[in-house]
Amino acid sequence: MLRSVFLKTLRDQRRAVLWWVISLLALAAYLAVLYPSIAKTPSYNQMLQAWPKGIVASVMGEFPDYSTPEGYMNSTTFFMMAPLLFIAFAAGLGANAIAGEEEHGTLDLLLANPLPRWRVVLDKFVALLVLTLILGIALWLGLAVGGAAVGMDLDLGRLAAVTLSVVLLGAAFGALAIAVGSATGKRGLSTAVVSVVGIVAYFINSLAPVVEGLQPYRKLSLLYYYIGADPLRNGLNLGHAAVLAGVTLVLVLVAILAFQHRDVGV
Amino acid sequence: MNDTVIRTEDLTKSYGRRRGVVGVNLEIRRGEVFGYLGPNGAGKTTTVRTLLDFIRPTGGQASIFGLDSHRDGLAIRQRVGYLPGELVLYENMTGAEVLRYLGHLRGGVAESRVADLAARLDSDLSRPVKTLSHGNRQKIGLIAAFMHQPELLVLDEPTLGLDPLVQQAFYRLIAEAKAEGRTVFLSSHILPEVERVCDRVGIIREGKLIAVEDVAALKSRALRRLEIHFARPVPPGAFAGVAGVRDLTVEDSILRCTVMGSLDALVKAAAQFEVLNLVSHEPSLEEIFLAYYGGGDSHAA
Repeated sequence: MLRSVFLKTLRDQRRAVLWWVISLLALAAYLAVLYPSIAKTPSYNQMLQAWPKGIVASVMGEFPDYSTPEGYMNSTTFFMMAPLLFIAFAAGLGANAIAGEEEHGTLDLLLANPLPRWRVVLDKFVALLVLTLILGIALWLGLAVGGAAVGMDLDLGRLAAVTLSVVLLGAAFGALAIAVGSATGKRGLSTAVVSVVGIVAYFINSLAPVVEGLQPYRKLSLLYYYIGADPLRNGLNLGHAAVLAGVTLVLVLVAILAFQHRDVGV
Repeated sequence: MNDTVIRTEDLTKSYGRRRGVVGVNLEIRRGEVFGYLGPNGAGKTTTVRTLLDFIRPTGGQASIFGLDSHRDGLAIRQRVGYLPGELVLYENMTGAEVLRYLGHLRGGVAESRVADLAARLDSDLSRPVKTLSHGNRQKIGLIAAFMHQPELLVLDEPTLGLDPLVQQAFYRLIAEAKAEGRTVFLSSHILPEVERVCDRVGIIREGKLIAVEDVAALKSRALRRLEIHFARPVPPGAFAGVAGVRDLTVEDSILRCTVMGSLDALVKAAAQFEVLNLVSHEPSLEEIFLAYYGGGDSHAA
């Protein structure tokens, strides 16, 4: 596991990822166990409809619904919880990628090797992608198995579509974190930028359907390209997935260019 | 055949108002051990980190093996072993793991070579880095610099934190590298160390290279502060005009002075009185600058 920057990055995260996987499996099991009783109690759903639309939309999306498997999964997990967790995970890794080594002081040792800087950024990004994908697989597996155990009628292909979307979303924010960290060498700044962009993007996307003035800006939010086309009901929207992938690619390029052209460790 | 390994031309790096280097001209030849001497904060690390393309010059240029330090950085780093001035290793790995990782990034390094260096420097590679003292981390940094047998070693304050025995082992490694035709560029703020291992020395102060000299020439002008304690008061006149003596003061039975070069004349002059004690101090770098270069405003020799 020490053969490349990519493999070493995976190795460094092995314990953390194990805990993330266990937590996601536990979360999935909890959600599955809760489903039968919630679905059988119409008053929960009536309660959702009775609450102020803006408040409900901001945490569960435009169409809160506990009565169908898709509605339940979207409202409890995929609208807020999953993107929050995946962005936090990927942004943490991304902030550490270059800025972490730089602040810690190991970057000199790493870059003294015959290794181009772009290669370091790329290795760290690919590791981030793989680790985020592992989390995605854990979430999918947990929900699929948990759902099957309680007789929830979920389309596993569409469950994979929404999980893949949240992985792509995480990767995009991870790439943003790498870009800010590579350009500035500051881990704190990277985390701050991702937090602000993430929160703004989240609220633009969630409130746009209920706040008229926000409507035109919804397409500026990365969250829209993750959940806007409801992949759990409709399958993967290739156009939206391409936007997420494209933004990620551009941010990785920015990270590489910024890192190539600056002084490190000053 | 080009025998210049490192060449800088008017190398300048400024960071706004903070310290940097100004107009450094260096030429280091194949097979020599070059000492880069200066107090902390003089610009040693800035120079070294520019050579390795961690930072880019704001003026002038640097080349190594005739290759541009920035454009050909990859080809250069292939042939260079580097010890950072502020060495930090991966805390949660053992020494052996750190070295295996760095070895892989270089395309593989013979394990026997690593084991041999570890034995010579008395380095325990099985312990996690976070449990190691500064000196023990420094040893791992040195192994990383030497393990791929590079043509050029760039070592920033290599003996910092090493105990004396390990220092000796390190000096032997330098001597061997030189015998094998490798080139060594090491920075230090300790004059005796540079005198001991280097062929030539460049002296840097406040970002400017103020002199480049053969170590032999430097030694012939060795500067010492002496104190001689006599059994009885001595007449100051007895020491006036003794060769090499400066800043002479005599208070009762104690003589204080600075001697440049040989001590012979002073010792012979003192021998006519009864000497109780003789105390010699190594001068600080600052005193050397003042004595040799008039405070550092003069230009490179």
